[in-house]
Amino acid sequence: MRKIISGNEAVALAVKLARVGVVGIYPITPQTTIIEELAEMKLRGEVSADVVRVESEHSAMGVTLGAAVSGVRAFTATSSQGLLYMHEMVWWAAGSRAPLVMVVATRAVGAPWNIWNENTDFMSERDSGWIMAFASSPQEALDLTIQAFRVSEDPRVFLPMMVGMDGFVLSHTKTNVYIPSQEDVDEFLPPRRQPYVIDPETQESMGNIFQPFDYMKLRHSIHESIESSQDVIREIGREYEKLNPLSDYKTLNVEYKLEDADYAVVTMGAWSLDAMEAVDRLRQEGVNVGLYRVRYIRPWATDEIMRALGDKKGVIVFDRATSLGRGGPLYLEMKATIDSPVKGVVTGLGGVSIGKKDFYHVISKSIEEFRFKSFREVEWYYPGEVKEVELGTPRSSI
Amino acid sequence: MLPNYQFFPVSHPEEGAGGKTGNWRVVRPEVTSKCIGCNACFLWCPEGTIMVKGNKAEVNYVYCKGCGVCANVCPVKAITMVSEA
Repeated sequence: MRKIISGNEAVALAVKLARVGVVGIYPITPQTTIIEELAEMKLRGEVSADVVRVESEHSAMGVTLGAAVSGVRAFTATSSQGLLYMHEMVWWAAGSRAPLVMVVATRAVGAPWNIWNENTDFMSERDSGWIMAFASSPQEALDLTIQAFRVSEDPRVFLPMMVGMDGFVLSHTKTNVYIPSQEDVDEFLPPRRQPYVIDPETQESMGNIFQPFDYMKLRHSIHESIESSQDVIREIGREYEKLNPLSDYKTLNVEYKLEDADYAVVTMGAWSLDAMEAVDRLRQEGVNVGLYRVRYIRPWATDEIMRALGDKKGVIVFDRATSLGRGGPLYLEMKATIDSPVKGVVTGLGGVSIGKKDFYHVISKSIEEFRFKSFREVEWYYPGEVKEVELGTPRSSI
Repeated sequence: MLPNYQFFPVSHPEEGAGGKTGNWRVVRPEVTSKCIGCNACFLWCPEGTIMVKGNKAEVNYVYCKGCGVCANVCPVKAITMVSEA
């Protein structure tokens, strides 16, 4: 079935199709319409899930984690400040290795207040031990959310999974989305499996104090699970094609016109499609350039990236997030993976709108710089007519 | 069948999970013949090292830390604290 729906509605439909048992809900822009939609579905009797209204994001993850370890499918969603408020429980969820799914509609983090799109909040959870995927369209948000339940409940993984999507750009933009049928999803998602169940009968407890040696062993096992989840994700992606024949989830990340390219552009999220148009135009002008779209941040597909980008003359990484004082997270990861010259471009922060003209401009400029080996490692790019941004003169001391 | 790299933060209650804590003691509780088997020390012992068997309390000295709670709560003062030195 095809419908014109926004990214948030697509995620809510995916949760409904996955037959989730408990949803911990707390609203925050731009994620609010996911849980509004779920609450309405509950009112209409379309979902049988317990919709638990809590008093904060910290509690939302607490409810979700408690439900997950007690043996039902659980889901929650959040955004910028909420994700940071949840940060402690995010680590608890990863450490307890409970399969659950969270959707993050990304948004800039204060101060100052800003509700527009930026990926820094999502990227700030990289080290916690979750499987992390990032969607580039409402269609992909729905597909990845359905796959997330399967990935996190796989015995080779047994970790929570986070699906990100660009706030407003994807979460509130209505596009044409293919929705798989309930029978197909029921066949695709087996009954819930999990490593242990907390139950008064079994006298087990989760998360007690561990001796240093055991704690390190647990961290190591999470690391190994994330490493080995690459094959699991490819396997599940191939299987997902039965549900949606037009989907392409054979690989973790997506290549576009990269086979014969000398230069590569690396992007993540919704603006990849703008970057693709810029690449098309540059190809028409005879510039050998291709695009590599990162879909999974954790696991980081080192082998795929080495194969795709290892022999390029230059790689331009576009980041919608920063590690302030150093550069974008994606640029740093890429720099640690390949030996080619890498240039990081930080732009689009706090909702600054970047279109195909900006991509065209930055990519063609960067390729010139690669030719003369004169590129700056990290560049802050402002779109439009702004050539040089005045950051203001420092105040003289009184 | 789980792969061998899987490891979960789950613990089960069992005797001595925290190691043999008896070597923390500086004073030792000793049950004298006054004991009437009222179970007060069994209920109050924070480490669960006292069991009442046949109307007389018995202390497990492998895990007893010598905190002295049992001697304080005993209604007939049947437990005395003896120095380990």
